[in-house]
Parts: sequence; structure tokens; C-alpha cells
Amino acid sequence: MNNISFYKDGRALYCLIFTGILLSFSSTFASNPTRLFKSIFQQHKVQGNVTDGTNPLSGVTIAVKNKSNVTVITDYNGQFEITCAPYDTLTVSYLGFKTAFIAVQGRTKIAVKLQYDTTTLQEVKINAGYYSVKESERTGSIARISSKEIEIQPVTNVLATMQGRMAGVNVVQTTGAPGGGFDIKIRGQNSLRSDANMPLYIIDGVPFSSDPIGHFQTSSPFPTVSSPLNSINPDSIESIEVLKDADATSIYGSRGANGVVLITTKKGKKGKTSFSVNSSTGAGKITKFPDLMNTEQYLAMRRQAFINDGLAQYNDWDYDINGTWDQNRYTNWQKELLGGTAQINDLQGTISGGSEQTQFLLSGNYHQETTVYPGDFRYKKGGMQLNLNHISADGKFRITFSGGYNSQNNNLPAYDLSFDARYLPPNAPALYNPDGSLNWENGTWENPLRNLNAQFRSQTSGLIANTVLSYEIAKDLTIKSSFGFTDLKSSETRTQPSTIYNPAYNITSARSAIYLYGTDRSSWIIEPQLNYSRAIAKGKLDALIGGTFQSQTNDILYQTANGFSSNSLIYNLAAAKNITIYSNDQTQYKYQAFFARINYNWQQRYILNLTGRRDGSSRFGPGNQFAVFGAAGGAWIFSHENFLADSSWLSFGKIRSSYGTTGNDQIGDYQFLNTYTTSGINYGGMTGLQPSRLYNPNFGWEINRKLEFALELGFLQDRIFTTASWYRNRSSNQLVGLPLPGTTGFPSLQANLDAEVENRGLELTLRTINFNGSKFKWSTSANISFAQNTLLRFPNLESSTYSQKYRIGQPLNIQLLYKYKGVDPQTGIYQFEDLNKDGIISFPDDRQTAVDLNPEFYGGLQNQLSYKKWNLDFLFQFVKQKSRTYPMGPAGMMSNQLQRMNQTWTQSDNIAPYQIATTGYNYEAVMGDYYYTFSDGTVADGSYIRLKNIALSFDLPLGLQETGCKIMLQGQNLLTMTKFKDGDPEFGGAGFLPPLKIISAGIQLTF
Amino acid sequence: MKNTIITLFAAAALLLQLSSCDSFVETDLPKSQLTNKDVFEDYATASAALADIYAKIRDKGMLTGAYTGLSLQLGNYADETVSYENASSSGAAFYNNRLLPSTTALQDYWNASYNQIYAANALIEGVEKSQNLSAENKKQLKGEALFIRALVHFYLTNLFGSIPYITGTDYRKNSKASRVDIQKAYEYAIADLSSAAEMLPALYSPADRIRANKWVCRALLSRVYLYNRQFAEASNEASALLNENSLFSLEQNIDRTFLLNSKETIWQLQSAFAGQNTQEGVAFIFISTPPSVASLSPELFQSFAADDLRKSHWIKSLSSGSFVWHHAFKYKERDNTAQSKEYSVIFRLAEQYLIRSEARALQGDLIGAKEDLDKVRLRAGLDKTEAVTADEIINAVLQERRWELFTEQGHRFFDLKRLGGLDNALSPVKPGWNTEDRLFPIPEAELSTNPNLQPQNPGY
Repeated sequence: MNNISFYKDGRALYCLIFTGILLSFSSTFASNPTRLFKSIFQQHKVQGNVTDGTNPLSGVTIAVKNKSNVTVITDYNGQFEITCAPYDTLTVSYLGFKTAFIAVQGRTKIAVKLQYDTTTLQEVKINAGYYSVKESERTGSIARISSKEIEIQPVTNVLATMQGRMAGVNVVQTTGAPGGGFDIKIRGQNSLRSDANMPLYIIDGVPFSSDPIGHFQTSSPFPTVSSPLNSINPDSIESIEVLKDADATSIYGSRGANGVVLITTKKGKKGKTSFSVNSSTGAGKITKFPDLMNTEQYLAMRRQAFINDGLAQYNDWDYDINGTWDQNRYTNWQKELLGGTAQINDLQGTISGGSEQTQFLLSGNYHQETTVYPGDFRYKKGGMQLNLNHISADGKFRITFSGGYNSQNNNLPAYDLSFDARYLPPNAPALYNPDGSLNWENGTWENPLRNLNAQFRSQTSGLIANTVLSYEIAKDLTIKSSFGFTDLKSSETRTQPSTIYNPAYNITSARSAIYLYGTDRSSWIIEPQLNYSRAIAKGKLDALIGGTFQSQTNDILYQTANGFSSNSLIYNLAAAKNITIYSNDQTQYKYQAFFARINYNWQQRYILNLTGRRDGSSRFGPGNQFAVFGAAGGAWIFSHENFLADSSWLSFGKIRSSYGTTGNDQIGDYQFLNTYTTSGINYGGMTGLQPSRLYNPNFGWEINRKLEFALELGFLQDRIFTTASWYRNRSSNQLVGLPLPGTTGFPSLQANLDAEVENRGLELTLRTINFNGSKFKWSTSANISFAQNTLLRFPNLESSTYSQKYRIGQPLNIQLLYKYKGVDPQTGIYQFEDLNKDGIISFPDDRQTAVDLNPEFYGGLQNQLSYKKWNLDFLFQFVKQKSRTYPMGPAGMMSNQLQRMNQTWTQSDNIAPYQIATTGYNYEAVMGDYYYTFSDGTVADGSYIRLKNIALSFDLPLGLQETGCKIMLQGQNLLTMTKFKDGDPEFGGAGFLPPLKIISAGIQLTF
Repeated sequence: MKNTIITLFAAAALLLQLSSCDSFVETDLPKSQLTNKDVFEDYATASAALADIYAKIRDKGMLTGAYTGLSLQLGNYADETVSYENASSSGAAFYNNRLLPSTTALQDYWNASYNQIYAANALIEGVEKSQNLSAENKKQLKGEALFIRALVHFYLTNLFGSIPYITGTDYRKNSKASRVDIQKAYEYAIADLSSAAEMLPALYSPADRIRANKWVCRALLSRVYLYNRQFAEASNEASALLNENSLFSLEQNIDRTFLLNSKETIWQLQSAFAGQNTQEGVAFIFISTPPSVASLSPELFQSFAADDLRKSHWIKSLSSGSFVWHHAFKYKERDNTAQSKEYSVIFRLAEQYLIRSEARALQGDLIGAKEDLDKVRLRAGLDKTEAVTADEIINAVLQERRWELFTEQGHRFFDLKRLGGLDNALSPVKPGWNTEDRLFPIPEAELSTNPNLQPQNPGY
């Protein structure tokens, strides 16, 4: 118990460790000079250059064989200079080329020509979290993208960079508003809780909580509350690895069920100090609007509705049609309110370099983005990243530090104008009076621009730092520990000033209000590890054991203030008459684990990988805190077998498989406690205490069992490389906020449900090198994922609270809908299948038609072409899916409609695709429309093919030494092919801004 | 090699040692929470748990004075107010009598009400188990919680018809609860109120009538008895209050009726902070035209006699050109004032006169009935009633209730409903009205999560 207090103050501990790091630096520096002296002894200078036959290659590593501490790198013109002995042999290596061994033989000038080697892509080290593994030797399922793919995309959120590029990873953008979020699912939905399907994010070894920050009251311009992932700058990322199967994720135990996303930032490289500056500027517009009615069509619909309803006179409040508003006026509100151009500017600078023993990289970035809304709104983001590596002269001690700080400032209208843009009648009045003030048209409408006076502001700053120390105790044994720290501060405000009301209401700033939500989340993690590696028999054994101690605290303060003496003081709480604190809380999450891995690689033919983890989490009640997870993976590289070793066509062949368990603890903190919480609301001189939740202490881990088989084949020296993986993941012991009827007092209860969800699928990838000439190169990569989600088991589903949400044997993401039968030619009302034959359409008996809204398949097709100094890269993303359209309420009421609704039923034209228009008086029609909204009549083909990204770059032939200049043109979402009519097909949030298409131009200087 | 192995084992042992320390994953209570047990071992925190229920009744659900509450929405639903909210708002759905099982306002009423009932039941159970609370304190807290439980169920059953009457906190039971008919719900409410009236003191504490005491329970009892057609009992309960002259009397100056220290008030809900006035004031009063939320219906305005003080003092008119709009002006304050001037009144003495008048008429005490009715009429500046027969008196009472209690928690709708007058009164003025609209639909999500609530109310 005593050591608890020691752990409690993570920051103090972190400082201590940092001091230790500084001290260890000084000792290794001290021992350096003598070593350097020894190596200078036998001098022979060699100068040379490295080419691929025509073009010089920069960044090539030249080392002296058997002397690990002599290495240089070629400069921008492929030149190098190295000091060695006259009889030494040089090792010249470069990614993508065959390593060349060149005997110096006393020469002082050497020209090296490297041969392309496609198979070396198999040599890439893949980050698997606690260990790394060669691409060819991995037993787990890991998808990867590198800075090469990330840098060419003009996006601000790290999840956006993965769209269409990884098999099994489905990323959907939820809003086009800057700073908004993305939805990611790795191999489908495992948990019945829709908000418990987030993967685990690890940035440079530090888990990064992706729990949303803020509150819907303050994040109102977004469909979901703010995502903390925005505080990672995509340009500083070296690679993203996504761990998918049990072999790769079991070592993350209770947090691996939904996959693990590993983000590695860029590191410095030894060699000359290099500078790089990257600047770009771009413009964004909305991809696609639905077609809405113009004034003529709209008024015709309205008039018809009055006729249909038998109303001879227009009401006083039917301003659009009774003559109050100009009936010749037409405004395309979507264009007016959302049709602007967002300007995007980006600046990035990097300095990197280092010596043999110490390397560094320092980068800074600044990004700003305006919106498509009218008015001056802006999203700004800036940050810096530092990476340091050091290795002691004897090669035994290593230290790696990476730290990133990022600050964001977002200013948006407090309400997304998309709703108004769709629903305002097209002849609604002008926005402004001639004098420039907002036009309220004598109180006959609510001017949509009033909402621009209500602002959303958020300020977020995030720090992520990690230090890894390792020491080689003996030849085969390394002790290692990482120390990580994250800190995220966010403050969100939404104002509700009196200026959002018509001044005629005489509402003063005494009614103005502001909502504030502050989050301060910090965590520390310590992960000590032992690595053991040695040759045993004809194979190699790698073993690893380690532990994790993690603590996270989350402080929130949610308050509101109102009654300001002036609207210009609205951000000053001291000027408020009343301040109410709704919530001020501190929650703590503690996590502890012990993990291990044993890997045996026999002659690079047979590989066995065993991983396991025992972990405990404070999110569970006493007795339920600990659980054990584990996995076994194996691979057979049959192309290394003797009978295939000389094959001319098959260059690589591997079969791998894995099985194991992972868990899921995404349920929020303290859910097992029976408590009262302060409500922050006063009555009778007391601040209220409210019951926190329904009490259930007996819930435990959700278990996910993952099985995978995969085949990897390379042909013609891997110029054609293809993989196929089949997986089946089953999630049981479902940890759910069981939705309860309101009669229990609460909408849900935390419990384990003996239900089982299966995700099954096939993922195919193909990479081909179509041309590999000295001037023209062309490669293609493609991925496609087929996935099937099924609810296998659900005890007593019929009598449960999920009875109208799920069906056994169907996916989780189904919707139960009425069966639409068309428009009745006699009455003009929508007709539906009366399943229970009781003569009326009613819920739930008649609403039983299940529609699967999961994508049937999705993927991407990427092409990379280069000709001399030109590079072209483009990615098509495709999704085959069904989507719901957005009916906009009964046609005929005082709000605009989709253009196709001009084909409503009338007496004279009694065969029509849409039902009779009504002003709201025709009860049958109102009910008909209501049923229609929940019928399969609203299901449409939402498939699309999208030119997700295109990037063209040109290296300016400056002819200067060591200086490069590259000009880039990039586009995002430029082209969309779809049959979907109601706006952007990617995204499902009516009333929110769809994604933007962006074009940007940039320049990169390296010297 | 030997050293290596020793180091390996030592390090492994160290790691195991660290990770076997399971207490690492124990955390402290979050700073905003108290365990259930602790809450009820201290009178201050137990009272805070009760205060929170009152605050929730004030701010959420059926009885809130805000525009989402019954005062306005049942006004829209019946013939008291005209909604000006946009077509997709819940105000328009009420006004057009187009409520659907999916209407969120109904789900909100339902959930907020049962959450208040849960909190009351949790309080009752917590207090019963408490070791430290005095018997006196226990009686006080439990009595108020029983009152709240009866009050919320009473309104629910009048809106939704048969509903589950929830008396415990066990979610396993409550999630499968069945509906009890209105008769039964009244019986349960009467039982709860009778025991609450036994337990609670006759004095108000604090003095500003913001918490339930014996009189508040009896005021609701008299109404429940009336609704349940137990006229003798209704009359008795009303008499008890009407005889309590030292506490209650009709304010003869009609403008004082809704002031914070009105002698007529039996129970009112305190504002959230000092200086704030009622949410009714915000919801009903408009100062520019056309109104953005609602105005009083022209029919209601026309129905008042010209010299009715309530027409001139409790209604305010605004005009623009040839249009005139009226709004309820019972609560005069729309904005905050230095000190709060008005609280939201739920029970007041005038209703007790009208309850007793109706109950007396139905029991044949026509003189007594007329006396009570005239108390209210005279205060409004009207002459004594001209009604003679029992039927005439009952009709006169119904009419009087419309004038006296307009826009107060839906009295008009409930009166028409219990006397079977909905169709006659509403069909001529409400094109969307149909007879099955007398009950709200059970919210869709409830039917799907608790099959025992099937079938849906007729017409939906």
C-alpha cells in the first residue's frame, strides 16, 4: 500500500527521470574522446558518388564492413566521403536497392551504381509496439502507411490520412467543419456499445486517450464532441501501423479488442545537418449539395398543399405564400450559407542531423484554415516536435526522447448553418438591410445569420513526451524502460449573446449567456522491459517480458454564466451576474499489466510467436479488476524451403495464422460505484445531490477472440506482391450500457450481457511495380476489404431492451424499418406493408424490415508514377454500401424540400413517386410521412468512388549542390462518382457540414 | 553466462513483484461523488438529495414553467394558446394535436418524470436504512419524497392513461413494470399522499412555501379525490385547507396572487438563484409582435366578461396594425430583478374553493357550492353566479376554472378530459383534434424496451 503515494504524483516522477537522463548524457559524453582517437589512427580518405545508373541517390548509407562505428551518408548529389583503411570493404545500402559490397583496394575515388531490389521492401522493420519485426517475418496482421503517403495529403487529422489506404480499416469523416472528428472502425464493430469501438492509440509508445473532450453543449457545431486526436500533426508522423489480429494485439490485452493504432514520429538521421521548409496554400469547398427546390417549385408545392388540405385562405403566419414575403425572390440558401471557400495555409520547418552517436530532429508547424460559412471564422494549429537519439560509444546504452507540443485555436459559429441552409424557404427575406444590419423582416423570420453572433471557441494544447532508456546488460540481454507523459488541456466555450435574438424582442445582454467546458487530462506511463535474444539450434529466440503502470487523471469544469452588463464582456466571468457550475470533477484511471512475448524463428522458415498479458483496470469493481489475455501466431515462409529456393517466378511465399484473446474496457470510470453526484443546481439554499446511476458492481471485461489465416505471395522478385487474409473475431461477455426503459429512472445500466458479436472478413492487397526504368517508374497498390458483421447470440432478445434494435443473425448496424409499398393512387398517401395484418400500420409489429447499413466492401487503389523529376500519386477510394436518404418532413409545410418532391401526388396526376402535399392539416399524410421516414423507401444506394487524393510534384532542376526545391500540387476529395442524391455519400449526418474538397499548392525547400 | 542468467531472474522477479501489487489499480472516489450510504447518514446531504428533486421538477419534465412544460404545451394542445413555433417544433406538434410516439417532448416528459420518481424512491430507501438520521428527520424526508412520487405519477396517468406506478429502485423490476389503470394509480397516489400528510408537519420550513408539508399533500389529495370522483373526501381535504385561515387566504388584490409572499399560495417552486423570476414569465410574456413562441387563443380572450379583473390584470395585449395578440400576464416579471419577486406556483387556494364547489354541487350542497364559487368570482370583480341547478353550477365551475386557472399546468385540458368535454370543446376550434388524442402515445423507445407496456394507446 505504501508505494501508492509514490505513484500518485506522476509529474514529479517524470521530472526525476528526466534529470536522470540528463545525468546519463554527461557521463557518456565524457568517455567519448579516447574512443574517437583510436578510430582516427589508420587513415585513408575515399571520395565517391552513388547513382541508380542515371540519377544520383542521396541518403545512401556507406559503412565499412566489420567496423560498426564508421558510417556516412551521401548528400543531395549522391556524393560521399569516408575514412577507412585501404584494404577495407564498403557496404553501400539504401532502401529499395540491393546492398553492394565494394572493396576499396586502395582507391581514393569510387563510383557506385546500385541495383534496384524490390524484395527489400520485405526487409522493412515493422513497429509492433513493444517490439519490431521484419516485414517478411511477421506473424501478425499489421497494416502500415509511411510519411510518403501521409505528406501528400492536405489534411489536419491523422485518421484522414488512413482513408482508403489500409485494408480492414474503415474511416468516415463526420463533419467538414475544421477541427471536427472522424469515425474509425478496425475490422468492424465489436461492442454493442456504439461508443466503445475505438482502437487504442499509441504515440511513440505512449497510450493517448481518444475519449472525447468537451461537451455537446459547447461542441455544438460538430455532430460529436471534439476529438483529442486533432492535437497530433500528421506532417510529423514517420509511420502509422495498425495492428489487427490477435497475434499483434494480444500484447495490449484488455485494450486491444478494437485494434491498435501505433503512431511513430519522425526521427533524425546521422549525417549533415539538413534544413527543410515546406509551405503550402489551398482552398476548400463543399463536395456536393443535395438539389433543393427553387422559389417557383416551392411556391407551387405550397399552393398545392393548401388546395389539397381544402384551405381557402392562407393563415397570418404563412408569410412565404400570403404575400408578406416577396414571391419573386430566390435565394439558394445552401450557396449563400455554406458556399464559401475555405482558405488553408500550411507552413512546416524541420532541422535534422546528427553524429554517429547522437541524432536529432526538430520541427515546427503552423496551419490555419478558414471556413465555408459567411463571417470571419478560423482554425489555427501550431506545434513543434523534438526527437533525440543517442547511443553510447560502446553501443550498449541507448536513449531515445521524443516530445511534441501542439496548440490549437478554433473559432466557429456555435451552430452549424447546414440546417438552416436546407430548410429555409427559398423566398425567405434578404439577410441584410440596406444599412448592413441583420434583416428581421418585421419579425416574420429568424435570420439564420443571427447564429454567427453565437460563437464556439476552443483552445487545446497537448504535450506528448516519451523517453526510452535501454542498456545491454549482456550480449543477449537488454534491459529497457520507457517513461511517457501526456498532458492535454482544452477549453471550449459557446456563447449565446442577446444579439442572436431579434432586437424587437428587447432582449438585452442581461440575458446573454456563455457555456464553458474545460478539460485537463494528464497521464503518465512507465513500462520496464527485458529483451532476450540468442541463437538456439538452427534458429533464433527472442523473448520479452515487461510491465505497465499507467495513471490518468481527468479534470473537468463545466459551467455557465449569464447576465452580462455588455455583450463585449461575455468572455469575462467577472462581468456575469450569475455563474452556475454544472460539474467540476476529477476522475482517475489506473491501469497495470504484465506482458510477455516469446518468438522462435527457425532458419527463417518456421516462426512461432507467443504473446500474453495480464492486466488490471480501475474501471472495474473489486474482484473483477484482473484478466489474462494471450495469443499464438505462426508463420511458414515456404519460399525459403529448398524446393522453391531456385524458383524463377515465386520470390516470396508465406502462410501465417494466429488465434488469441483481447479485451475491451471502454466503459468510462467509476461505473461500478453506488454514489450520488452534485448536480450543481440550487434549491432552497442547497446545492442538489443526484443519484449518479443505477448500481451494478458486478461487471467485467469484454472478451474478443480473434482468428486469422493469411497468405502472402511475391512474384518476379516481388514486383507483384499480394496478400490475402481471412479473419474471424468474436466478441462476447458484452459490456454494455444496457438501454433501459425510462421507468427505471435512467436510460441505461452498466452490465455484461451474454451476447456474442462476430466480425468476419477477407482483406486483399496487391502491390505491383509496373515499370521500373531509370526515368519512368510506375507502381500500383490496391486493397479491398469484405466484411460481415453478425449478432450470433443474444439471450432473451425479444423481451430485452434491445428487442427493436437488433436481430440475431443480422449485423449490429441494421435499421428496422417499415416496408414501403408506394403511393396509394386513390388517397395519395404512402402505403406500407401491414405485417401483422391488423389493418393499421403500427410500431413495432410492422416495422420489422431489416436493412444492413454496413459497407459491403471498401478499399482503395493507389498509383504512383514518376518520370524524371515529376511525381504523380493518386488514390481512388471506393465503398459499396446502402445509405439512408434524408426526407425533410411532409412536403407542403413551410420549409424547403428536395427538388424531387415536386412530383407529389395530386387528384389529376394520381400516379406519383411521392405522396400528397399537406400544410400539416392532413393527418393521414403527416403520419404517412412519419412512417416513410422510418421505411425502406428511404434506403438508397450510397456507394461511391472518390478521387480521395491526388498529388503532383516536380523537383526543380536547380543545379545547386545540396539544395533541393520541390513544387507540389495536391487535391483531396476532388472527384466523387455516386448515385446518391442527397448530398455527400461518405457521411451520414444531416444538418452538419459535409467534407470539403481541397486543392492546395506548395513548395518544399531542402538544403 | 551465469551472471546473465542471474540478472535475468533478478529483473524478472522485480517486475513480477511490482505487477503483483494489485492495489495499484485502486482509485479514490471522484471528488464530486458521495457513496449512497454516506448521503443518508447526514441530514444536510440527505436534504440536498431531496432539494435536487425539487430543482428537477422546476427545471425539467411536466411541471417546469419553461415553454417545454405542461403550462404552455397543454395550452397549445387544448384551446388556451396558439403556437407560433416553426412547423418542426414540438410546440407545433402539440398545437396541431399531432403527437407521435417518436415526439421527443413526450420521451422527455416520461424520462424526466420517472427519473424524479427514481430519486424519490432512492431517498425513501436511503432514509429507511439510515443509522444516524433522527426519527423526526426521517419522517420529514420520507414524507416529502412520498408526496413527490404521488404528484409525478398523478400527472403521468392523466397524460398517458395507464402507466407503471413505480415504488422502488430495483431496475430489474422496474424495467419490466406493467401498466396500472388510472383508477389504481389514483389509489396508490392517495395512499402515498395520506401517509405523507401523516408524516409531515403543518408548518412551512423554510417559510416561503417551497417544500411540501401537510397542507401541500392535502391540496393534492383533494384534487386526486375530485378526479377520482370521491367528492366527500375531496370536499373534506379542501375544507381542511380553507379553514386554515392563519396560513391561507385569497389575495383580494388580484395582482398579488402570484407574488412570492402571496397568502394564496400553497406550494411554489423556488427560482434557481436569487433575483431570478419564473420561467413562466419568460415563456408566456412577449414584448414584440408577432410572438415567437405562443399567444393566448382569441377564443379564450373573448370568453372573459368585459369587467373580469382577470382579463385586465392577468392578460396583456399587444397590437401591430390590425392584429392584436394576447399573452398570459399572471407572472409579471420576464427578466431578473434585484430580489426574486415571483416563484412558480403549483398549488393555490383558489383551486381549493373550486374543487370544493364542484364536490359540494355533486353531493347536492348547492348553497355551499355557490358560496365557494362566488368567493372566486367576487375576487375577480364579477357578480355572484346565476347558476341554480347542480348541472348549471358544475358547468359554471368548469367555466370558472377555465378563467381562473388558465395556463397553469394544463388545468383546462385535464378538466375537459375528466368531465368528458374534450371533443365538444376542441373539435370546433382545433382542426387536428380527434377523440383519441385524449391520451398521449407511450413513447416509442419505451414500448420497444419494455414489452410489458404494450399495447400502444389507441390511435397511435
